[in-house]
Amino acid sequence: MILIVVYVTIGGCLGSLGAHLCPVGGAPAAMGTATGIATGTIQILLGAVVTGLFTAATVSTFSNNIWLVSLSGAVGATIMMQVVMFFANILYAFGCGVLPISGRVAVDPITKAPQTAYKTPQTDGHGVPDVVFVSGSAGGFIGGFGGALMYYTLLYLAHFTYGTAVIAALGIFVSSAILASYNIRGTTEGLWDPKFKTIHKAMIATICVSVLCGIVVVLATIALGGA
Amino acid sequence: MPLEVVLLFAWTLVIVFLAFLACNFEDNESDIGSQSNPNSQVQLAAQVGQVHRFFNKAISGEPLSNALYQGTAGMVAWILLYRLEPMVPDAKWKAAVVAIPLGVGASALIHMIFATTAHCGRTSAQKRFQQPIYLDVFYGHLLPIATHGFMTTFSILCIAYIQSNLGTLSGDPSLNHPFALPLLAFIWGITVGSIGSSTGDVHYGTEREFQDRPFGEGKRVIYHGRITRYADCGIRTSKDISPFCAKFGSPATGLTFGFIILLENWRTLIGMKLAGFLPSLPAFTAIGDTAAIWGIILGLIIVAGWIVINMVFVKWLRDKCGPFVGA
Amino acid sequence: MAAAEEKKVEEKKVEEKPKLKLTFPPAETGLALIAGILAVLITIFAALPAVIKGLGMLLTIVWSADSVRKTSKYGLGTGVPSIGVMATGYGVIGALMGLAFAKYGNIGQFYPGVLVGVGFMGLIGLVSGYFSNSPKYIAMKIPRLERAMMELGISGTFANLLMFSIVTGSLNFKSVVTQVMDTGVVASMFILSIQAMAHPYNACLGPDERRERTLMVPAEASGLLCVILGSAMLVLGTSPWGLWDPVSLIVFGLLVWVVFYTRFIKACMKECYATVGTGLIKTIE
Repeated sequence: MILIVVYVTIGGCLGSLGAHLCPVGGAPAAMGTATGIATGTIQILLGAVVTGLFTAATVSTFSNNIWLVSLSGAVGATIMMQVVMFFANILYAFGCGVLPISGRVAVDPITKAPQTAYKTPQTDGHGVPDVVFVSGSAGGFIGGFGGALMYYTLLYLAHFTYGTAVIAALGIFVSSAILASYNIRGTTEGLWDPKFKTIHKAMIATICVSVLCGIVVVLATIALGGA
Repeated sequence: MPLEVVLLFAWTLVIVFLAFLACNFEDNESDIGSQSNPNSQVQLAAQVGQVHRFFNKAISGEPLSNALYQGTAGMVAWILLYRLEPMVPDAKWKAAVVAIPLGVGASALIHMIFATTAHCGRTSAQKRFQQPIYLDVFYGHLLPIATHGFMTTFSILCIAYIQSNLGTLSGDPSLNHPFALPLLAFIWGITVGSIGSSTGDVHYGTEREFQDRPFGEGKRVIYHGRITRYADCGIRTSKDISPFCAKFGSPATGLTFGFIILLENWRTLIGMKLAGFLPSLPAFTAIGDTAAIWGIILGLIIVAGWIVINMVFVKWLRDKCGPFVGA
Repeated sequence: MAAAEEKKVEEKKVEEKPKLKLTFPPAETGLALIAGILAVLITIFAALPAVIKGLGMLLTIVWSADSVRKTSKYGLGTGVPSIGVMATGYGVIGALMGLAFAKYGNIGQFYPGVLVGVGFMGLIGLVSGYFSNSPKYIAMKIPRLERAMMELGISGTFANLLMFSIVTGSLNFKSVVTQVMDTGVVASMFILSIQAMAHPYNACLGPDERRERTLMVPAEASGLLCVILGSAMLVLGTSPWGLWDPVSLIVFGLLVWVVFYTRFIKACMKECYATVGTGLIKTIE
């Protein structure tokens, strides 16, 4: 019983961490004015997590090991984020003639390539450069892991059926991830962005809300007859 | 290899082609109706004094709106299948042929209703900027929007139908996906919307909306709101945007979703085959766990591969184009 | 029967109109109190005909859309859809909890146990509102955000509970799971209620937005929702009142939709700058 609350809380926290790591540029990125994926945090994170949940559901029909189900969900979400980011780069490069350049750092932390000379003036960077790609993959991995972990908990520990487990897992995931997206306020570049340092504030909020949601699930399971 | 296994792989390949079509039309539909992120520029245009003749379809969020159309279509199709399938127990495809188009038609009607409330609501809230409702823009775009939405929803509903009946179609009903048809349609609706919002809208927003700015630079902040309002001949409407984006943006978006479906489904199936899980399907044993482990290992190899591909691509691009020139 | 429903709906709209023309805060609180009290009464009696439950659902969705509007007016940074998704996410969890507690303390057809779920979700909404607004944490600085999030948690739970009880005809957890969750009907309900709450303010966004005009959109969206739920009821055949129950719900839904949709479009075309057949554009420096 106590394990349900613990797993739901961990899942919620991982979802919030994944939301902070996902690089999104919001509406300006769709015009090539900001770095990152050209949409909102919740939109892309929901897309990645439900893809991961789809794969995790297939795996959960023939395996009931918690690590395997959660990792398949995580890998599914990561692949989705990566393909989206790569094709966004292709569209920027061949459709608009725009290079993937970061606007927040002068030198790329991973490949040590200079950024400022290649950036369009009066913009905040454009495209999906290397550091942003890695940060996005990590965000997708962690977010997908959290979502699939909550799905596994609801399916095997609380004994809900498949449809109930998926909808309830989405409901709890969404409650924590949206608090994280309020903390980000629209645009972030992921791990190397200064906004990442404020993550501890959102974490405390997410822990409280996730603990309460876990208590809800436990109470519902008990009320149904301790099944 | 026994026939059931070959059929499994073949049906998942059909799903990949349908996925390509689905996301292709989803991106084009969000260009005809001007939805999501580039629509913020259409909204901003009136506010900086540039009256326009675009269709301002501002349904909240592309993933959620696509989930709406696909989820409703899935539910209506499921209702019809529930009633029709007991009538033809030996030829269930007959029920599907009737149910799927009717479900998609119902969702096209709902699509048009939401589009009309969005356009009228947004335009009437911009009274002080002297933006009128052009009735020919209003009536003339409804049918293209509904048609493109129909194609997207039809493809997604076929994908959901095949996936929820995958085992039955290949010969072993226990391989059906555990989710029901409306839930699968809802999930793919969210995914299709988020993909179209992050990839296809880049071609519309950066290139086509600011067609008279130089090619090869990100659009600067001072350009925002001053979109291109005159077309090749006359004043531009959203119908002029769709043929341009159909040349590059829409197929690229379709490729994205096709790749994702291919990598997801075939990874799981190859994992199952390598562990000897097919065709006997012993669930919840060590073989089941091995199948999942193979799937995860293949997935991690693919993850590392994409990071390398992106690094190579970015480096090639920087060497080819060089630093920024111009003002 | 249908004419009586239409008159009832018109009466409620007319009753609210004088309140709306008074000063602003009591109007919002007045709507919240009316919707809340009626929702409590309608949810507890699970054996009411579907039309009355549909009316309760309409009021709850209008109340949620009003809360979304109150919060988003000050600029959320991430956009309007996120708060609608949060409301329905809370609603689903609260509805599950309420359904699980429904069998405790029921007297015949009255199920006061579901209010436990509603109350708990209000608490979660209050907690997340506190964290979102307080200057030590996320600090969004939106006035009365705690109250708005609490209202969203409560109204989301009521909307979901009413939708479940319309389709299954009762508040029994097992029948909800087999008829609503496992069949996938819940996905369509989930997304339609999100869109009914988040679409209205997003569709009417702009400096000349007017509250009465905006609130017509959730009403017509719930009309559509009633039509779809009625057809699901017709097929599943679960109503204890026989076949005229889903048919009357579909007719009610269509009437509500026609009334509010035509009013909304006419109001928009009358209140915008100009409605022209076609025309050239101008540039204002």
